[in-house]
Amino acid sequence: MLRVLIWEFGKLMRLRSVQIGLLAALVLPLLWAFAPGLRAQYGLELVSGWQVPALSLLTGMDFLFPFLTAMAAAEVLGSEVSMGTLKSVLLRPSPRSRLLLAKIIVVLVYPFILLAVSLVGSLLAGLPFGLGSFFGGTGLGAGSFAGVGQLSPVGALTELLRAHALAGVVLWPLSALAMLYAVIFLSTTSAALAAVSTLLLMRLLIAFPAIQPFLLTSYLDLYIRPAAVGLGLPLLIIYTVGFSVLALLIFERKDI
Amino acid sequence: MSEAEVSSTPGAALEAERLGKKYGRKPVLENITFAVQPGEVYALAGPNGSGKTTLIRLLTGLAFPTSGVVRMLGQDVYNGGYVARRALGAVVEAPAAFYPHMTGRQNLEMIAFLTGMADAEARIREVLVRLELLAVADQPVRTYSLGQRQRLGLASAILHEPQILILDEPTSGLDPQGINKVHEILAELAWKGVAVLLSTHHLREVSAYVDKVGILGGGRLLEEVKLGTKGETYRLRVDDPAKAAAFLKTVPGVQNVSLRGVNVIFEGSPNVALAALVREHYQVQFLEPDYFDLYDYYRERVKNA
Repeated sequence: MLRVLIWEFGKLMRLRSVQIGLLAALVLPLLWAFAPGLRAQYGLELVSGWQVPALSLLTGMDFLFPFLTAMAAAEVLGSEVSMGTLKSVLLRPSPRSRLLLAKIIVVLVYPFILLAVSLVGSLLAGLPFGLGSFFGGTGLGAGSFAGVGQLSPVGALTELLRAHALAGVVLWPLSALAMLYAVIFLSTTSAALAAVSTLLLMRLLIAFPAIQPFLLTSYLDLYIRPAAVGLGLPLLIIYTVGFSVLALLIFERKDI
Repeated sequence: MSEAEVSSTPGAALEAERLGKKYGRKPVLENITFAVQPGEVYALAGPNGSGKTTLIRLLTGLAFPTSGVVRMLGQDVYNGGYVARRALGAVVEAPAAFYPHMTGRQNLEMIAFLTGMADAEARIREVLVRLELLAVADQPVRTYSLGQRQRLGLASAILHEPQILILDEPTSGLDPQGINKVHEILAELAWKGVAVLLSTHHLREVSAYVDKVGILGGGRLLEEVKLGTKGETYRLRVDDPAKAAAFLKTVPGVQNVSLRGVNVIFEGSPNVALAALVREHYQVQFLEPDYFDLYDYYRERVKNA
């Protein structure tokens, strides 16, 4: 399984959507950190480089990162269908479930790679503002950007890592959903579009208060709402496992 | 259909029993039954849209039938799990698909791993030499010509020395030299006992070594033609072919008399037939051996289906 996983990661990094996504994640912080309209948009004056990652994360998680995640997850399977390599692999005496499981693991790791690149890009963009102790907040911890006093570099980094890790988990159900659609449609475009459409439709369902606590879209900002982690995190994991198991079951008897 | 209802062909390496496939309510394949014995070469022929590719996808377990079963060495391909595919080598696309960023050798190494081959280095080199790909083995597949990719496809299919080989259009995109090489390899594998099934439009090319031809049309197996088992066949042209054919049917030593256009076709002794016709004052214009032209036969069969 390890060898299959290494192959899958190698293939992931060659996908065009992944390469474009990682480039965007790296460049976005630079644009935000030096954007002249930053004050007008957020009423924020950057006082430390530790505040740049929050800007990237807040803006990225609004649409860009979910979209890039769905696109990559869909392309992981869709590209193999379009190249014809999926058939070649499935002809071998190897279980279908092993192949798809490797792909699911890879697409679940991808959000963390994307967010790690965004974090690195943000910290690089934050260098001119300094990365020492400062009075204020990272925007991802207590007191948001105003903070609750002086914040040390270790404290700031811990807040950022926790928030980015949570954001990665928030993107999991979307990865799994895009993979499920990729198994159903065997097409990158259809799967990515269906996953994003489902997300947008789910957002509209907040009009039904009774089901709102159980919608995955209610927890897309979990990384800045630590109080909701108790219910949100298990729910996001349940969605991820549910979509993944469904994808595995369908793939087992899917005509290729 | 239950497993118990399906009878098995004894000794068959590959067998399809009452295989059917529907997309929605539209049947694409209906009631396909045939078997390929070890050492036999079976060619699937049929016009575009006749269901050849769907049938190959079903046979290889890539797609699942609406009815019927496929067995490889007696094992159900759909319910026997992936183990049933251990005996299978296949190329289901023309040209064969590979990871373009990997070299030909790396692609074969990956296939060897997925097939469960241990220490495959020597065998990979062997098939690369056999398919004349050693010189390009360490180049990325994206730099390969169509013919090289097609030959790499065959290399990947025979890598683990399968007992069953299924190939979709194996000579598509190859130059005459490549075509001969592929036919030579397939004939050799069959001689060694491998059951070979291939789909092709080039019936004259394969007629030298195929044992059976399954003619598909409209999703049905119209006919299974056995080659090499027919008796010596002759054709003659005579002034009144219908009357001459009727007469020849009464002549001892002459069998299977039929009319094909203006020619009378028969099996048996040409001397006996000629003497009998001359004795009855028929004007015989020519008499010659009737070599079986698979392609002509196929055209006639599909036209009349």
